Amino acid sequence: MSVGTVGSGQLADAPPSRWRPLLRRHATMPLVLAAALLATYLWVGSLALDDIERRSLNAGHLFRVTGQHVSISAMTALLVVVIAVSAGVLLTRPALRWLAPFVTALANIGQATPAIGLLVLLSIWLGIGAGTALIGLVAYAVLPVLRNTIAGINQVDRHLIEAGRGIGMSPLAVLLRVELPLAVPVIFAGVRTALVLAVGVATLATFIDAGGLGGLIVTGIKLQRDPVLITGAVLTAALALTLDWLGGVIADVLRPPGLD
Amino acid sequence: MTADVMIELQQVSKLYRGQKTPAVEDVSMTIRRGEIVVLVGPSGCGKTTTMKMINRLIEPSSGRIMVDGSDVTSLNPTELRRRIGYVIQQVGLFPHMSVATNVGLVPKMLGWDRKRIDARVDELLHLVGLEPGQYRHRLPRQLSGGQQQRVGVVRALAADPPVMLMDEPFGATDPLTRDRLQNEFLRLQEKLQKTIVFVTHDFDEAIKMGSRIAVLGDRSSIRQFDTPERLLSNPVDKTVAQFIGAGASLKQLNLRRVDAVDWDEAELVRLDDSPTSALRRLDETGEWAVLSVDSERRPVHWITARDLDPHQDNLRGIGGPATVVEPRATLHDALDAMLSSSSGAAVVVDDAGRYRGTVTIDRLMRAIGEMRETERRRDQPVSEAPETADGPRADAVPGQRRGARSAADRQTP
Repeated sequence: MSVGTVGSGQLADAPPSRWRPLLRRHATMPLVLAAALLATYLWVGSLALDDIERRSLNAGHLFRVTGQHVSISAMTALLVVVIAVSAGVLLTRPALRWLAPFVTALANIGQATPAIGLLVLLSIWLGIGAGTALIGLVAYAVLPVLRNTIAGINQVDRHLIEAGRGIGMSPLAVLLRVELPLAVPVIFAGVRTALVLAVGVATLATFIDAGGLGGLIVTGIKLQRDPVLITGAVLTAALALTLDWLGGVIADVLRPPGLD
Repeated sequence: MTADVMIELQQVSKLYRGQKTPAVEDVSMTIRRGEIVVLVGPSGCGKTTTMKMINRLIEPSSGRIMVDGSDVTSLNPTELRRRIGYVIQQVGLFPHMSVATNVGLVPKMLGWDRKRIDARVDELLHLVGLEPGQYRHRLPRQLSGGQQQRVGVVRALAADPPVMLMDEPFGATDPLTRDRLQNEFLRLQEKLQKTIVFVTHDFDEAIKMGSRIAVLGDRSSIRQFDTPERLLSNPVDKTVAQFIGAGASLKQLNLRRVDAVDWDEAELVRLDDSPTSALRRLDETGEWAVLSVDSERRPVHWITARDLDPHQDNLRGIGGPATVVEPRATLHDALDAMLSSSSGAAVVVDDAGRYRGTVTIDRLMRAIGEMRETERRRDQPVSEAPETADGPRADAVPGQRRGARSAADRQTP
């Protein structure tokens, strides 16, 4: 009776041709990204790099900072989904519905505060490091997922919920089998937004010593090394777009059948 | 309370929070096992609220509701609802689940094993004429409106609940489909004998579907609770009469079904027959039209002598429209069919659309005459003993109706 079993049942029922349109819809972005990365690589490779540039632009360092960036973004996304989806579910239950405007307002504050300010304020309070950066990023990215979870559940046709209750589904069953599956597309749109936000804002984590691709950009600006700056910026953008693309693919796969 | 009573409302009221006047006030009603009670009234009169209190989708503010001998408030609402089928106007099929999953939901919640659920789903789809092999894996949006509502009905029937609540179940479909769904449902009900509470604002539907009809006024107050026959012939006050609307005698045609009158036989010809042989048949029998049927004996056209062209090889595409009715259709439907048929007769067909007989305007007139006669006879004792006649009469009438139905069944093998 879990969402998982519903999903597998649907896949079995779905026609096998499901993967082809998926490929067609999502094939462009990886090609564009690969071209951009290749162009940057060739361009940087054609330059004569000085010492400072070589220290930043070598495979080891690039992999390390990219890895940091990915992990901090992924952790953010994971925490945001867990927190925001459960909060969204709770805030759409009849007993807690009245709380929703207040919590949304709070999440709004989290997002409206300039990210750099939020991070610095948090580091004064909690000290510097990856943990603090994570908290700041989560506070920053929680809003879109929360708002979309609430909107996604609220847009489910009331008659379907009434029908579910009317035929004797428990409130939990209505949530797991009707409300959440039908809210998935909207929730996932929020998750994608949050992911892109997280990747972008994670560049600021370098200011509180949490690593990531932001380091390259800051070095490039401070020391006026354009290749370093541009590599950092291109990698960040490519990462954000990759995750957005991945989110799009996953949303397409998870999308319940039978919706237009 | 006798064993015959299935649902009982005892002085039930509903006052929504923040409102001064109750939506439902002090309603008492007894519903017998196996009958269809229609709650009919203008929109906003509280009929849906009244119905939803039976399965506790809405909690009553006061009063008591008994279903099958137990107080509904003493039961877990989820468990209660699994024993009460529920059909709504918006159908409410879950768009992301296949037809089979939708229909199998309640049995699954009741813990049936997979095999039993599958068998039940197939059985039910068969019952409403949806070939399981073709439809069980479809998604709701791949069905027409009428098919969706059929699935909605069988989903409610899945665990064979003794009671069904139906909230304008056929209200969202076009008139033609609605008519067919109504007939189909009545045919089902004959087999299933469920106790049904049926909400509608359409009085014609109420007459067609109801064993008894409760005409409701403001705050769900019961203006009259009676059989369709009695409502039409004796509306208790002006408001009820107004609600019944004009043409009460025409509406009485809704009370009789095609299988309750005698049918005639048409002269049948096959599509492959030659025009010459059809002409000969017309001459021999003296009929003014013959009915062409296809290889499955499904009626195609009424053919008159004027339509026939001796140079043609067969009878395909020749003749005027032949309109059909099912045996469960009302005489009102039959009249409608006659008026749009080229021959003035409605062709009676079975489930598969095969020819069974015809109904003509003469038969219809005779049936109306009989109805008037019984009405007159039934009303006579009332004027003599108005005090005591009410109870037994109300009981006698549905019995009479059921009797008429089963007599018709014997007629039609």
